[in-house]
Amino acid sequence: MARLACIDLPAFPLQLLLRREPAWADRPVVVIDEDRPQGRILWSNERARGFAILPGMRYAAGLALASELCAGVVPPREILDGVDAAAQVLRRFTPEVEPAFDDPGVFWANAAGLRPLHASLKLWGWRVRAALHDAGFLSRVVIGFSRFGTYALARSGRSVVVRSPEREEAGIRHVELDRLDLDPKARDALRALGVETVADLLKLPAGGLRARLGEEAYRLHCLARGEHAKPLAPQRVEEPLRREVMLDYSETDLGRLLFLIKRMLQELLAALVERRQALAGLTVELDGTHRETLRPADPTVDLRQVLDLVLLRLDTVELGEGVTEVSVDVEGVEATREQLELFSADRQRDRAAARRAFARLRAEFGDGAVCRAELSEGHLPEATFRWTPLFDLRDPEPRRVLKRVLVRRLLARPLALPHRPRQEDDGWQLRGRDDPAVEEVCGPYVVSGGWWRTERHREYHFLRNAKHDWLWVFFDRRRGRWFLHGRVE
Amino acid sequence: MTALQKFRTAHMLQRAPSEWRLLSLRGQIVEISGAEDSASLTVALGLVREAQLFDEPVAWVTREDQSFYPPDAAEGGVDLDAVAVVRVPGARALARAADHLARSGAFGLLVLDVADAIRVPAPVLSRLRGLAHKHGTAIVFLTLKRPAAPSLGSLVSLRAQTRKRRTGEDAFTCELRIVKDKRRAPGWGHAEVCRGPSGMH
Repeated sequence: MARLACIDLPAFPLQLLLRREPAWADRPVVVIDEDRPQGRILWSNERARGFAILPGMRYAAGLALASELCAGVVPPREILDGVDAAAQVLRRFTPEVEPAFDDPGVFWANAAGLRPLHASLKLWGWRVRAALHDAGFLSRVVIGFSRFGTYALARSGRSVVVRSPEREEAGIRHVELDRLDLDPKARDALRALGVETVADLLKLPAGGLRARLGEEAYRLHCLARGEHAKPLAPQRVEEPLRREVMLDYSETDLGRLLFLIKRMLQELLAALVERRQALAGLTVELDGTHRETLRPADPTVDLRQVLDLVLLRLDTVELGEGVTEVSVDVEGVEATREQLELFSADRQRDRAAARRAFARLRAEFGDGAVCRAELSEGHLPEATFRWTPLFDLRDPEPRRVLKRVLVRRLLARPLALPHRPRQEDDGWQLRGRDDPAVEEVCGPYVVSGGWWRTERHREYHFLRNAKHDWLWVFFDRRRGRWFLHGRVE
Repeated sequence: MTALQKFRTAHMLQRAPSEWRLLSLRGQIVEISGAEDSASLTVALGLVREAQLFDEPVAWVTREDQSFYPPDAAEGGVDLDAVAVVRVPGARALARAADHLARSGAFGLLVLDVADAIRVPAPVLSRLRGLAHKHGTAIVFLTLKRPAAPSLGSLVSLRAQTRKRRTGEDAFTCELRIVKDKRRAPGWGHAEVCRGPSGMH
């Protein structure tokens, strides 16, 4: 016979708050909806109730009754995490666990077939409660036969093993409606009619109930009669998505490390998309000790966005002697259709389209129009690189540098500067009388070459003028004049 | 009132909105300008390196008579073999080249090194803006002008004015200040400390 267990963690948000603030255990504590004096009390513990501080009151009113009152807000994320934590504990005792997401703190679990492992269902229930207690949760466990039956008995404050469906049905009849978290209006209306227990409720005609007291009361009536009972729908636990790499060497370069992480993220994002999920968070672990957890602004399948976050975070990390193990774990949430479509469309730029664009450019501007800069060995600046024709793009491999260098603008042909003395009344005006005077000189550094053809001897300087324009100039000994070769921009 | 709350998805961490990142320039026409103390090339090549980190193809369009100095770019971490440099005869040809490249949709970053200030016809800017938006490309114009000078056109959605100052023996602070931002309010900025090229100490 199928056995169903209901595990109730009463006043779940209050339990989470006390778990977060263990020092408040001996004080009156309430959960409020907003952290302000007019915030409404949602839950109160026994000590707070002793001061007549009840749900529905304002926080300020509670403080007036008990000056040592402690209050906190429990955000939805914390509740979600708490449910996950409790569900993980329960899964140690049964593989099928269904959290009630519309009633956090309530779980149903499949209790069938556990006797060989635990000697008795009573012992199983006791062990579940003990494990939850170790995890910081107070709980009640009822093992019975139906959802509503086990739920109602758990809510009545008991931990029992019900021996038969008939006993379960008999047991729920005495459960007070107050315990079942009914809508307060419906509850008050029923109380006015003298309906206070499930047994009283079952005496009322179902059709009239809906018309007079609303949908919720009608639904409760149906559940109490055993109608609309749904089978257990265990939460599907997917294997966490994780990639690990162990390196044969110690990686000290952040750029290369990021490339490694990027490849791992590509696989993980693809796996998430297969599950129809988007990335809600990720954890990067280096050498099993250093962990960084990141969350994007919204769940995403955009690798670039995720990598941007990783770069920002790891940019502040000192790699020290290097990293030999890298692991990435990702957390997924259900993705929208648009996100999944974006993943497939946005993954790669069209290289064929780039090649076609290059061909059009060559056709319009000449064969040498599309090129790449190829560094070469040379002494003169114009000999340190050459323009090589480019026909196709390739995957880039940028390097990480500790500090970037200012970039010069190079003139293809150095510009001869007018002959002007360095010492003039207005200072050294390099390009003419309207030019700001030079205020700082760095150099010279001599560059020479081409002795086998026509010897070149240049004395390079960086000159800063009054407008902070940094000019890159050289004095050509052979020609006896100054040339402008570029600017630092 | 029920004591229980329904679930929502987790609270999100928000990134600071004022960061100078390629991701936030995608789909826009951006102008990086500078006067005599300009740091525009350095800033633009920083974007190139960032694009490469994210596997975004980059094309750089420049006039034949001048260009960025490739060894400096390489020293700054840029993979030169993966940057397509298009060298064209004049400023007018720059716009035509940009059109070919933007139309392909194959690039995440297009840098148009206009250098001397030129006027880009509004229809050209309009077409480029549409292509940038369609393909998620950041199209960046580099111009030489002072902060008070007008931007290339009304379709430029972001304009940054750059400058550099020596702040140490071999340290130069490159600053950019946003003087026009259609998506957020201008006034924010970004700074980075760089070193000078060899010999500039």
